[in-house]
Amino acid sequence: MSLLAISEVITGYGPTIVNRGVSLTLDKGEIVTILGPNGAGKSTLLKAIAGLIKPRAGSIQFDGVTGLAADVMARRGVVLVPEGRKIFVDMTVEENLRLGAYARRDEAAVEADFETMLAFFPILATKRRDRGGSLSGGQQQMLAIARGLMTRPRVLLLDEPSLGLSPLLVKEIKAIILDIGERFGASVLLVEQNAGLALAVASRGYLMQNGRIVVSGPIAELRDMSLMRELYLGGVAG
Amino acid sequence: MQQVSIAVDIFIQQILNGLSIASVITLIAIGVTLIFGLTGIINFAHGEFLMIGGIVTWLAVSAGVGFPIAVILSILAVGLMGYVLERGLFRFTLERPTNGFIVSLGLIVVLQHVVVLFWNPNQKSIPRPLTTVWEVGGVRIASVRVMVILITIAVVALSFRMITASRYGRALRASVEDRDTAALMGIPVRRYITGVFVLGSALAGLGGALLIALFPITPFTGGTMVMKGFAVALIGGLGNIYGAVAAGLILGIVEGFSAGYGFSQWTDAYSFVLMILVLVVRPHGLFGGTSGPRMAS
Repeated sequence: MSLLAISEVITGYGPTIVNRGVSLTLDKGEIVTILGPNGAGKSTLLKAIAGLIKPRAGSIQFDGVTGLAADVMARRGVVLVPEGRKIFVDMTVEENLRLGAYARRDEAAVEADFETMLAFFPILATKRRDRGGSLSGGQQQMLAIARGLMTRPRVLLLDEPSLGLSPLLVKEIKAIILDIGERFGASVLLVEQNAGLALAVASRGYLMQNGRIVVSGPIAELRDMSLMRELYLGGVAG
Repeated sequence: MQQVSIAVDIFIQQILNGLSIASVITLIAIGVTLIFGLTGIINFAHGEFLMIGGIVTWLAVSAGVGFPIAVILSILAVGLMGYVLERGLFRFTLERPTNGFIVSLGLIVVLQHVVVLFWNPNQKSIPRPLTTVWEVGGVRIASVRVMVILITIAVVALSFRMITASRYGRALRASVEDRDTAALMGIPVRRYITGVFVLGSALAGLGGALLIALFPITPFTGGTMVMKGFAVALIGGLGNIYGAVAAGLILGIVEGFSAGYGFSQWTDAYSFVLMILVLVVRPHGLFGGTSGPRMAS
């Protein structure tokens, strides 16, 4: 059985339906991406998986359990690094990182992870005592990912980590995502509009359009599909 | 020469008086500001929580219990009341904080009249728990006022320490800043909301016990006290507990100063004048507040 199994999930806000019956799976150690144009429902799906919103129908099963609130999901190891980073701007870089370890009791391991993050993201070591709000966009993204990793996730949900970053930083994020599985043993579900980044790191992918999965398969297949080209370059998006 | 020294005596005494009342108001303001920061609810019934703290102290002392034990009973009773009201009422208004505010307005009437029903609307007082008056170089210092100020300083210092240094305090500040993202860190935000109601109510219970040590109270004392507590919370920046304490200190000094120099009839207005002035110049309060909780979009 898959680590994360999503089946026929329908979500929406008020009268608007966003996801119209989405199914997907994520196995241990995998990096899987969900691609799709703006407004396809990718972020909403991630919020539902993280437990921030309740799906109207369908099931989200993690490790055999379903229907948990966000804080319980996080304690069980499904952690969302949200779109727009959402770091705590009034708190220091160190406090942000330590909040990631809120639910952990293995204090020695937390300290070790904390040092690992500072080594892995050197800019965070430099800015350790600075307010989160004083960091640049790229630095905030590093902090958001590091804070997510401090929870020791089994599944890391990344929502548009490359948004608004320079090509150089996107490259850095790419290296980090590739490293997450090996270094931290987490599976990754990556939502991206930057298809280049997503295709470079993921082994499988789903293409979402108008709240539905329209195509899924190994990344090499997706890369060649004419539909991908249409969606991203042709302009039938929407 | 003579006249100057008399003025200074009065000044010091009035500052002490101002600070002792401001202590009680600060205890309310911390509760108001914490509850708002986490839930967006402005709990105007917080003054009634204070009044009930005073009533519990009065009941306990009248039954022959010593003042220190009565204070602890008030803290426990009002803390428990906060727990029950959060679980039974405010919990259901979290999605729409305005409803919580309206619920709190209703609670004012209910709580006042429950007290009137059981214990009549008359003034209630207890014998002063400390009667010593120190004479220091011509300045008369009532030890009971010093006690109120010291207890408040100790409680505020303890709360600050908890909020800045502990893991729970860090999680609380994170929840105030962004509830959803705090939940993503595994923080059980709902439990923190309950915790803040209990803590805020317990501080109001303490405030009530300290207030009745200074003055007689009636079932309607809560109204003016909560208005001042709210003004102090606004001056400091709603949601900002450091701001609330600093603003409480400022108000205490201003009230004491004015009473000492012959403007005592205006004392009750200062908090509001100060509030209006501050809000005109700095709409988010002197020290910056929060805009209330951010919700799932």
